[in-house]
Amino acid sequence: MPNLQPYADPNYFVYLLLALVPLAVGLYFGKRFVTYEILVSLAFIFLIFDEGHYVNQGVALIIYSIWQFCLAWGYITYRKKYNNGLVFYGTVALSILPIILVRLSGAGIFHTQLSLLGFLGISYLTFRSTGMIIEARDGAVKNFHPVMFLRFMLFMPTLSSGPIDRYSRFAKDAAVAPERSHYIDMLGNATKKLFLGFVYKFILSYYFGQMVYPYFQSMAMSDAHHGMILSWWLIPVAYSYGMYLFFDFAGYSLFALAISYVMGIESPINFNKPYGSKNIKEFWNRWHMSLSFWFRDFVFMRFVFLMLKKKWIKNRNTVSTIAYFVNMLVMGLWHGLTWYYVLYGLMHASGMALNDAWIRFKRKHKGLVPHNKFTEGFAVVLTFHFVLLTFLVFCGFLDTFWFHR
Amino acid sequence: MSNKKKLWRIFGPVLVAFGLLALVFLLPFSLTNYSQKSLQESSVSFSNQLVKGEAVKNAAFADKKVNYVPFFGSSELSRIDSLHPSVLAEKYHRNYQPFMLGKAGSDSLVHFLNMQEMQGTLKTKKAVYVVSPQWFTKTGSDAGFDLFYSPLQVVDWLLNLDQNKPRATDQFVASQVLQRSVVKNNAYYNRLLTKVEKGEQLSETNLSTLRLKHRILSRQDALFSRFEKTSNYQNRVLPAAKSLPTTYSKNVLDRIGYDEGKKGTSNNPFHIKNSFYTTRVMAEKKALKGAQKDYDYTQSVEYAYFQSVLDNFAKNHTDVMFVITPVNQRWAKYTGLNNTMYQQSVQKIKYQLQSQGFNNIADLSQDGGEDYFMQDTIHVGWRGWLALDQYLNPFLSSAKTETNYQINNRFLSKDWQNLKPSQQSVESFQ
Repeated sequence: MPNLQPYADPNYFVYLLLALVPLAVGLYFGKRFVTYEILVSLAFIFLIFDEGHYVNQGVALIIYSIWQFCLAWGYITYRKKYNNGLVFYGTVALSILPIILVRLSGAGIFHTQLSLLGFLGISYLTFRSTGMIIEARDGAVKNFHPVMFLRFMLFMPTLSSGPIDRYSRFAKDAAVAPERSHYIDMLGNATKKLFLGFVYKFILSYYFGQMVYPYFQSMAMSDAHHGMILSWWLIPVAYSYGMYLFFDFAGYSLFALAISYVMGIESPINFNKPYGSKNIKEFWNRWHMSLSFWFRDFVFMRFVFLMLKKKWIKNRNTVSTIAYFVNMLVMGLWHGLTWYYVLYGLMHASGMALNDAWIRFKRKHKGLVPHNKFTEGFAVVLTFHFVLLTFLVFCGFLDTFWFHR
Repeated sequence: MSNKKKLWRIFGPVLVAFGLLALVFLLPFSLTNYSQKSLQESSVSFSNQLVKGEAVKNAAFADKKVNYVPFFGSSELSRIDSLHPSVLAEKYHRNYQPFMLGKAGSDSLVHFLNMQEMQGTLKTKKAVYVVSPQWFTKTGSDAGFDLFYSPLQVVDWLLNLDQNKPRATDQFVASQVLQRSVVKNNAYYNRLLTKVEKGEQLSETNLSTLRLKHRILSRQDALFSRFEKTSNYQNRVLPAAKSLPTTYSKNVLDRIGYDEGKKGTSNNPFHIKNSFYTTRVMAEKKALKGAQKDYDYTQSVEYAYFQSVLDNFAKNHTDVMFVITPVNQRWAKYTGLNNTMYQQSVQKIKYQLQSQGFNNIADLSQDGGEDYFMQDTIHVGWRGWLALDQYLNPFLSSAKTETNYQINNRFLSKDWQNLKPSQQSVESFQ
């Protein structure tokens, strides 16, 4: 059997789109072939995990799905009658247990045993299932539908790297076929996204990621070999990585959205010209949006409400500053347990707190700081470079540069 | 707007785009027009693109002004100094000019596929094949396979099969490349090569899809292979040639090689080129002491890869010279590389060659201890290149001779791959 990693090369699209033709024709005529959709999803998931070291991952995916199935089923059934906070927190803890164990293995703790639990996409599936439990607590999900749950969990286009959807939203789309005129608009959108994705992923991301970034890395490493603590080459390393990361991830997200649309599911968008943001908070509303909105709703807001409701801290500014740090630290740790992910989270939290303080300062001293096109442009440039600096930390190259020469 | 119209607005441009793409790929106008200068540069670019594609190779070997001769090899080819084969051919107006194919990582399996794109050349031209015993590690040294692989090679290969039927060598190579993920994960090539591996004849349908693939891939190759710009010929070969005396004298050139080698290797006791020593050796010098004492080149799947190349030469009756490279003895002593083992692997390679009628062999394997014969740890330079020229010049300057090769497929077998020359005489292998 061949092995097909999602969206890895142009052939993949030929196979996948051909397989989706019957589904699309059905949707056009107002019918959703649920069984066929499940079979295609499973077949392409199978082709990700059908050989070599991927087989283990496939087994882990199955075990993981059963685990999450039981948790969601159990909690939703429980929630119909009761609403104890401790049960909720316990279920969430069990739901994120697999990814915590996998992250521990990544940090070298019981590596051989725990890494068996990991598979491509585990971090994204965690958002799906944990989010569902939180939605159940809030009453947005009332009933457990086994088939719909599995369709949501194993929705193939967004399996490996998002965008992160919510069960309540997904179930609404997946229960019916869209209106014909609306579906045609979705197909138009899908075509546009697909071709833009080709430009991003196969041309620009390739250029920055395979040609430019490695070149600057090697130049920086040769300074490292000469014992230098810092190198001017780290600057182009940061620029090229920033470009690579955006085009790679945005390109990937466009593919995932395009395929979702063809399947009649309007998964949420992930990027909206993030490098044009005027401040760091705006950046997070435009970069990896489905992730940051998930964190905003399920970590940040809940934390703030909890603090204010229980009156543990009275000052709203202090609460939001602490919440930024909690939020971004969790996000950093979600990527992995390394110093640079933690530092990355801390940098972004500081940036947000600083941004709030700056806005408060401007409000207090109206007219002191001018506001015009020039200052806006300066804000964009400043934000972009701050983000690049955090990405330089995030990419892990500094770890190689300093500690693995 | 009606729904039908909307659909046209969406998919019409896509159809037009594919139509235009089809025109670029299928219309019979040539895209391959290479200047003399760019062919010259390609001959010493050592680019993996050359190995992957066929456009530049075909243009070079069909060139009427310069008689480019293919030099198959790996990292040693790129050690340009005053006595490098490309420099000598340029300076002394030889009736041949080396065209270098390969760089670090291109072993025999890579070259078997590389050659599939230039079978016509191999029928008419002489060739040089540089064998590095370093390739012959236990599991083969084809970590570089992906770098040099292109689907066009496989398409050419399958179109080259005699009566569309795989021979033992084809079956063997198919079984090997099917283990590489770049090949295996492509459903189309996976299916065809599995057929070849089993020795099944290709069908007419197979052939017609292969011909279409060939059209598309060779067009793609012609479009993109011109993007690489190097200037080794301009910046390194021509200046080196300029500095040499006008008339060829082996003794004078040997003296020049000695002096340049001495000057160029002054910062270390191993006679390793200064720049190579500072960038590649110095930092790890301590770790490298004795590091190679368990290296073994006598048992390797590479012997079978090598056999597939020999079979291909025999199939095309190529008049070919084999070069067996030495290692820097001073360095080998330091790293503990076992010279007896090294010579045994050379004996095994030579037996495989001579017993099948490949008798043009430039065996330099014993000369790695000579002063300034090597440019660094395992690559010949200066006086080594000049010594090699004593074999190459007479061979390449003379007319092509009839070949008489007798291929023995047993050299593809595990028995031969695993034969240990220290326990069993290689000459007893049948």
